[in-house]
Amino acid sequence: MSQSPAPTTAKNAKSIGLTFRLLAFLAAHPTLILLGVLAILVLVAGNIRPSYLTVAGLRTTLLQAAPLGILAASQTILMLTGGIDLSVTMIATGAAYVTANQSPNGAAVAILFGILVGLVAGSANGVGVAVFRVNPLIMTLAMSGILLGLFTAWTQTILQGSTQVGGLIKTVSAGAFWDNRIPYSVVVWAVLSLLLIWLLRRMGWGRLLYATGDNEVAVRLAGVRVWQVRISAYALAGVLGALAGILLAGRTGAVDLQLASTFLLPSVAAAVIGGTSIFGGVGGYAGTILGALILSVLNSILTFLNVGQAIQQVVYGLIVLALAWGYAGLTRRG
Amino acid sequence: MSTLLNGRTTQWQRLLARNSWVLGVWLLLGALIVWYSTLIPVFGQFQIVSISKNSLPLIYLAIGQAIIVIAGGIDLSLGSLLLLGNVLAARFMDEQSLGVVFLVAVGVIVGLALLNGLTGYVISISGVPDIVVTLATSYIWSGLALWILPSPGGGTAPEMRWLFTGSPSGIGGGYGLPILMIVVPSLLVYFVSRHTRTGLSLYAIGSHPVAARLAGLNVRQAKIVSYAIGGAMAGLAGLATVAITGTGDPRFSVGATATLNSVAAIVLGGVALTGGEGSVLGVVATAVTLIMLNPILTAMGIDSNSAQVIQGVLIAGVMMFGGLAILLRERRS
Repeated sequence: MSQSPAPTTAKNAKSIGLTFRLLAFLAAHPTLILLGVLAILVLVAGNIRPSYLTVAGLRTTLLQAAPLGILAASQTILMLTGGIDLSVTMIATGAAYVTANQSPNGAAVAILFGILVGLVAGSANGVGVAVFRVNPLIMTLAMSGILLGLFTAWTQTILQGSTQVGGLIKTVSAGAFWDNRIPYSVVVWAVLSLLLIWLLRRMGWGRLLYATGDNEVAVRLAGVRVWQVRISAYALAGVLGALAGILLAGRTGAVDLQLASTFLLPSVAAAVIGGTSIFGGVGGYAGTILGALILSVLNSILTFLNVGQAIQQVVYGLIVLALAWGYAGLTRRG
Repeated sequence: MSTLLNGRTTQWQRLLARNSWVLGVWLLLGALIVWYSTLIPVFGQFQIVSISKNSLPLIYLAIGQAIIVIAGGIDLSLGSLLLLGNVLAARFMDEQSLGVVFLVAVGVIVGLALLNGLTGYVISISGVPDIVVTLATSYIWSGLALWILPSPGGGTAPEMRWLFTGSPSGIGGGYGLPILMIVVPSLLVYFVSRHTRTGLSLYAIGSHPVAARLAGLNVRQAKIVSYAIGGAMAGLAGLATVAITGTGDPRFSVGATATLNSVAAIVLGGVALTGGEGSVLGVVATAVTLIMLNPILTAMGIDSNSAQVIQGVLIAGVMMFGGLAILLRERRS
């Protein structure tokens, strides 16, 4: 045994080196891990219910993922600057109501008014956070309460009976083309995603978001008006939230005050699983897309298993925790 | 300010300067109570009991949140822990003898302290941000709550109801006990946080974890302790809820609202979300204030929807005022 230690050690060293390099490679390309997790979850879902691995099965997940992905885009943009938006689901609900109210005037007008809701509420959040330096958690929490109160009151007055969005919006949100294969809403999501990724990676404004989240003081000393960056980020987050709300309204067919509320925590979770740091400066939208897809597939699996809502919540929490933990462990080592 | 910094200050002046925010929120609460008493025709025992007992769950939750935030964390699962404590109590105290009820009460507080201590441990070994871990555990705890009690129901012993509300039926009763149940836990946690080694270590790790570690503190242990205290307070909040309502309610939205209110209460009470700053005592006043806003606005003839809007505007307004004050001070110096 003592005569042949050298080759064994060398072999060990080689395999250790390989493992290490693999880990380092994965740590440098964390999206590959997310893709792997997504693939495994899809296979698990297909194993539980074979019909899932068909066009119709996957379409259901994509229809679920589109609004979640767009809401998570709001969180991603804000988390890059070190912020967060707890009012985004109320903005979505409000926009859905206003769109439903304006639907008789045509889809374009209706969507425009819906987006206006997001723009106004988002900008107000931005002013509170950027100018008055209110903590983003508190500012958006207060905004969420304000919107809930306003829209609860308005549903009994000026928005009374506005529970249906127009036909065109319904088609775009719930319909599909190419022999019912690809949902329109996924096309909307894909276009928005490409725009966002381009904005974050290639445009000066996107880089300012990262810079602001990374070191606000340095950005200010470099001559940038940080408050403008922040307000525009919150405004864009509001607009994205409004778009998600309009899609949701079209998909479910009816608007109510709880329309988007269940998406609040998943929207934050999708961005976090996707590798965007809640402290700002690190992350991107590509990871968030995978995060939203993973959570949607997970939701489908839990629905297939038919285990009841209680176990669903527990498993959902455990998997979100495990994913975040694994991700942190890998990237920290690298 | 300048006279305070130029030496020659009395102990009272220093005390005032250090606790000005806490004093401010208590004065605000006092003014609100006086104003409320002029708004309604009769202000007596019934109103005092109703305000103090209805504030209990939020006060406990906010104290727990304050301790965790002071130690540099934030716990989005406290509301779900409240649900868990509430349904555990309602399920296992229903029609039981006093001894069993007592054991269940102790079990809920200790059990939730251990569970949330585990959360603190996971945060410290995983390197995942507090907000993310507790977001995940908020699902786990509320799922467990739903599993234990699938629909609202259960009950508790008259003695439990008496302890928190001052009346065995939960209706009427004197204001002595509810106020005592506010004062005793608050002062206890305040004393622990300000006058014991463990409590001071929470402030230390919250204000600068690296410096705290270099000074020889066990940062992981302090983190776990802060979360355990938070869990125990959430358990107490769950017990108070079952005492006030007489039932268990596992709805997720109840927990989520409670969590968000606890964060609002601590920030308004002068606890900095960046950690290491603030006092439990200010938080108690803002928790009562948040609960009191509703009856006050109702007494003013404002409907509940407008009341919600006003509450949001007030929270944002107070924080903007604080931000503006900091901005002006920076400009001046």
